[in-house]
Amino acid sequence: MNSISRQYIYLMIVSMILFIFVLLFSFLVLIPSGKEYRIKRVELKKLSREFRDYSNFHNETQETLQDLRSKNRRVITAFDATFNPDRFERENKHYFSELRVASLSEPTLENGFGVYEVNTTSQISSPKSFYDFLDGINKSEYIIAINFPINFKRDGEVIKSSFTMKVYCNNRDTNSTASESKKK
Amino acid sequence: MIYSYITPKKKSIFTQEVQLLLSFFTITIVMLLMTYSFLVFKNYSFTQEKKSLSTQKVELEKSLLIMKDKIAYIEKQKMLSETIYTQNIVLKDSISNLFDLVPLRITLSEAQLLKNGLILYGITPNKDIYNFMLQAPLRSIFHRTYSSFYPAKDGWFRFVSTNYTDNEEELDNDE
Repeated sequence: MNSISRQYIYLMIVSMILFIFVLLFSFLVLIPSGKEYRIKRVELKKLSREFRDYSNFHNETQETLQDLRSKNRRVITAFDATFNPDRFERENKHYFSELRVASLSEPTLENGFGVYEVNTTSQISSPKSFYDFLDGINKSEYIIAINFPINFKRDGEVIKSSFTMKVYCNNRDTNSTASESKKK
Repeated sequence: MIYSYITPKKKSIFTQEVQLLLSFFTITIVMLLMTYSFLVFKNYSFTQEKKSLSTQKVELEKSLLIMKDKIAYIEKQKMLSETIYTQNIVLKDSISNLFDLVPLRITLSEAQLLKNGLILYGITPNKDIYNFMLQAPLRSIFHRTYSSFYPAKDGWFRFVSTNYTDNEEELDNDE
């Protein structure tokens, strides 16, 4: 017993304590933390990849939307435009000897769009003026459909015509880019 | 009584071996704690990043839904406008064809274009010219054609030609 000094006994005890501490700390704290770290890292990588893919898809959709907007700018503006009967008369008067646009009806809903019916009476010198008007209306700043009935009546040298126009615009309830057309 | 001529040294517990061992212990514990701190920090950072990514993803999803709605709406606008433009062009061609259909010897005084029909008022030198030159082509276009004549003062005839097309559905029902 005398061969092992007291100091070595201390050393052994302290070494044992450290060994036990290291073991306990490793198994109870460090290894679970490491496991959690590994799992979280894998999850984050997966999530990052998903997010990147999603972000790319988002960017592609954004490009598609912008492309669609730029290609259909005229149509979008036309649907947003506020129908002004006076302005319409002024802009299309040159097709007719006389043009009168009656007051707007209350808008109705058709295919999700607001529709105003506008009665129009006019005088034309020849049917060609009417054809030109129909060509011109497709290039106008509004979306207008010429609706039946259309009447042509000879009155001396001129033809009196009356027809109904349907002016389409955005429905304010669903897409509030639309604005209410002015009542004459 | 003194047994030695030198003064005794006081023995310390921190001998060289113990010091060496303690340094080793300290380094080991510091390394363990550093590793643990690193893991705790990284776990926290991963959790935060995960939360941030999830929030961003939710925002993207919302934005994507809005964009999809907008795309669908613009496509709807585009389709409707194209349909309307086509209808207007078809209407123009129909009116043009109608006026081309009327022979020079027949004069129209009024034309009513209806959704499913056409009513013509005019004057013709005689019934035969009307029947052969106007009614025949009208019959080939419309399903039902009715004509009535009224004598005019100068021996000509005023006529009213009423023409209708039946809807496909109605025709199917009749069959």
